Amino acid sequence: MENSSDFMLYRQIQDKDKDALEQLYDRYEKILFSFLLKMTEDRALAEEALQEVFIKIWRGTGEYDESKGKFTSWLFTMSRNSAIDLIRKRKKPTVPLDEISDMADGDSSVEDKAEWQEQKDQIQIAVERLSEDQQKMIQLFYFKGHTHEAIAELCDLPLGTVKSRIRLALSKLKKSLHGVQEGGAIDD
Amino acid sequence: MTKMNCDHVIDYLNGTLTAEEMREFQLHLNSCEDCRELVEAVGELPYLAEAAEPPAGMKERILANVFDESDQEEPIKKQEPALEAVQPASKPAPKVVPIVKPPKERIWWRPLIAAVLLLSLLGNAYAFMKLSDDGGGQTEAAFQSIDLQASESFAGSAKAALVSEGDSLEVVVQGEGLQELSGSEVYQIWLLKDGKPIPAGAFEADADGQGAAFYQLEQNTEEWDTIAITLEPEAGNELPEGEIVLSSGL
Repeated sequence: MENSSDFMLYRQIQDKDKDALEQLYDRYEKILFSFLLKMTEDRALAEEALQEVFIKIWRGTGEYDESKGKFTSWLFTMSRNSAIDLIRKRKKPTVPLDEISDMADGDSSVEDKAEWQEQKDQIQIAVERLSEDQQKMIQLFYFKGHTHEAIAELCDLPLGTVKSRIRLALSKLKKSLHGVQEGGAIDD
Repeated sequence: MTKMNCDHVIDYLNGTLTAEEMREFQLHLNSCEDCRELVEAVGELPYLAEAAEPPAGMKERILANVFDESDQEEPIKKQEPALEAVQPASKPAPKVVPIVKPPKERIWWRPLIAAVLLLSLLGNAYAFMKLSDDGGGQTEAAFQSIDLQASESFAGSAKAALVSEGDSLEVVVQGEGLQELSGSEVYQIWLLKDGKPIPAGAFEADADGQGAAFYQLEQNTEEWDTIAITLEPEAGNELPEGEIVLSSGL
């Protein structure tokens, strides 16, 4: 239901309906800003990335249709790519490995529940079922937006190994999340 | 062009596919449950973020900028020099860095800087000679360095430096760990705007897998959004035929 109404809003936005864009903005401002802040660790940069996302949506760059899967997946992918562009341009010195914060550092028992707590609990359990190394790969690749080369350098691993580990980590994540959603154990 | 399959899912997630490859991969997604589930699972990761309070006035700023863009029927970053992006009103992030070597900068681009500076100096000398003609307005150079992202099936890496000075744009690219070329193949550099490419220099890999190119665009009127390197079957193509091996947003 959420998806179809997102898609309807998106359709209206394509027809240059400003109210629809504002509605979509309100719906996703907080999760997107939080996500972009997690990636960039810089509030101004997160805002800039978010602006790029909505400019792209408004201009119809990189069109969405339902064949592309969930609207949120598409929106998050686009947001992540905006953040990565800005991160790479910023050229901040690479953070040493031991200073990289944990990916799932949130204690879900704190009272400050996110609006997306339900999804968060699920993905968090799924991530915690991965090995430490797999979690690190996802953190470096997905959230930090490091290139394969940068990860290889950072972890002192051959490039090919990094590529296969990222792939393995993502496919384990997929299985693990599937398991959580089915309410059972990992199915492999 | 390579058939899009499961091997390209990370390129898809990274947004490094061309428009055509994207369409092909979408077809693959429709038929491959494995990849579809992987993309959906990755699409849940952002929910791990801690809830953060957006800065005051962000909504107004962003919506104003978004609608402002369209009202003027101008592309993104209108009227800005190519390498300076629109900054949010709150705090200017240092996007364009002056040509000063950061303390821990890696060694790779020293020779490039030397090359660029030399050209820049020649440019200045030229500007100086023309001083009397144009009233002596000083142009300011903007410098940007970029790490290109390799596509999943490509083992090499490359860095680029863009220098814009007045109307001209200089592109310097240096690649490492590049795979050997066969026949008339070249590594071709492209600048893209909204998916439309122009060639911006080409290079070959030496025996050590290294290669570099320098390219100058005299009348740079576009505001490029992407730099990409393809493996072209031959030099001199006006449009890319080969697959993208390295790319980055600008």
